[in-house]
Amino acid sequence: MNSLFSQLAVLGSSLTLIFGLMLLWHRSVHAYTTAFAWQSVVLAGIVAVVAYFERDPELYFVAAMLLWLKAWFIPRLLRRMEEPLRAEQELQPYVNTATSLLISGLLVLFAYAVCRPLVALSRLPTRAGMPLALGLIFVSLFVIASRKKALTQVIGFLMLENGIALLAVLGTYGIPLVVEIGVFLDLLLGFMVMQLFVYRIHETFESIDVEQLGRLRH
Amino acid sequence: MSGWLVEFFQIVFALALAPGLVGLIRWIKARLQSRLGAPPWQPYRELGKLFHKEAVVSKNASWIFRFAPYAVSASTLAIAFLVPVLVVPRRLDMVGDLFVVVYLLLLGTFWLALAGLDPGSAFGGMGSSREVTVAALAEPTTATAIFSLALGAGSTNLGAIVVAALNDPWTVLTPGHLLAFAALFIVTIAETGRLPVDNPSTHLELTMIHEAMILEYSGRYLALLEWASWLKLFVFLSLLANLFFPWGIATTLTPGALSWAIVTLLVKLALLAVVIAVMETRVAKLRLFRVPELLTASFVLALLAITSSFLLR
Repeated sequence: MNSLFSQLAVLGSSLTLIFGLMLLWHRSVHAYTTAFAWQSVVLAGIVAVVAYFERDPELYFVAAMLLWLKAWFIPRLLRRMEEPLRAEQELQPYVNTATSLLISGLLVLFAYAVCRPLVALSRLPTRAGMPLALGLIFVSLFVIASRKKALTQVIGFLMLENGIALLAVLGTYGIPLVVEIGVFLDLLLGFMVMQLFVYRIHETFESIDVEQLGRLRH
Repeated sequence: MSGWLVEFFQIVFALALAPGLVGLIRWIKARLQSRLGAPPWQPYRELGKLFHKEAVVSKNASWIFRFAPYAVSASTLAIAFLVPVLVVPRRLDMVGDLFVVVYLLLLGTFWLALAGLDPGSAFGGMGSSREVTVAALAEPTTATAIFSLALGAGSTNLGAIVVAALNDPWTVLTPGHLLAFAALFIVTIAETGRLPVDNPSTHLELTMIHEAMILEYSGRYLALLEWASWLKLFVFLSLLANLFFPWGIATTLTPGALSWAIVTLLVKLALLAVVIAVMETRVAKLRLFRVPELLTASFVLALLAITSSFLLR
């Protein structure tokens, strides 16, 4: 029974990581949104699996919140944002696609190396997924740092948040519900502020390339 | 004795079925695009026709051009001998493991690329240069992906990997296995010249790879090369089917187990054919300069597969 639990946890974590890697391979914002939505569905699935095996009814609620907020509501807002920005594609990131894929592979290896003592100490059946969650956090940070379009960076940030939530669920079986709800509210507000910024950037520069912001200095 | 007979039967089985598999993929694709399509046994007729036709050879071509079809089909046939198709463990397991398979694959690619360059036509040279680019990027992924399975099984022997997966069915769900499957699937598509990488159904495109290399061939040479490339697809698909979904493969040499193995293999291959046909209908061909990106992605998947199967052992 426990081995099934850990298999499912590791399987889910690798799926979330693969959806994170998709950001590096695809170019259209539409594909990013789809990847984010599916990643959130898998994350909610992992939370539900933890809830089932640990008999923690609170986590079911968290999973439902995740499904509603991250797999439906935010992707819907993102889709609405895509419409005026249809021509905006991530054509020339700071680091090209092949190199960024290799770098993210190394980042995941690094996450494995960093997590070794943590995994060795832990007795949880979900411990094998923790390096993958940390890898997702690193890859999302890399996406934020290496991509030029504001919308890509926003999705990178959302995936970073998914990675942190995944690490929390795998490492501690979830934080108290009050904190969780607070995090969701923060995320929603943060996202809305970022959405506003993207609109303003687009309006001012007629592009969502953050390099343009450099012009503000003059 | 019966062990050797089964080995012999297996190779005849693979040779006989390979054109049918390609025909099936073409037929499903045609139906999905609401065309009537040629029947699945059309490739057999093509082979029959080509073997009866005269082979025209350019007067600029050297012996390499005439020798290459035999080298390519011999190396592919040797791979077909080494890959578990119907039975594990096998008599031929001691002959070669996954490294031999990978290098035999490269040997075939090498001769094909030489043959493309030999007559000095512009298309052949372009095809060879592209094929070598793809092969150089795909080959390490093949080795790494299968190697991540070998780490779990404790042996680089393909038969032993299948036996290990049969003994412990849960390993099929491990991330190492899944990532390796994804990586090997992309490599299969690249190596056998299927759609996002190369378009198998036309030789009228400037970006063709496989078709550009064999453009100068005709008659029995062309038949041999086509048959070898179909056999390569068959071998890759049965490798995918048996390494990742080994259930049904025979572990004893009884007639019942063997016929059950044939039935399950046919079902698995038909499923993979449907997957490939659906995918080829859905996706457009990638720009040539994006192909290395796809192959890098598959390499990263294989790298993650080997990491997780090494660290989660």
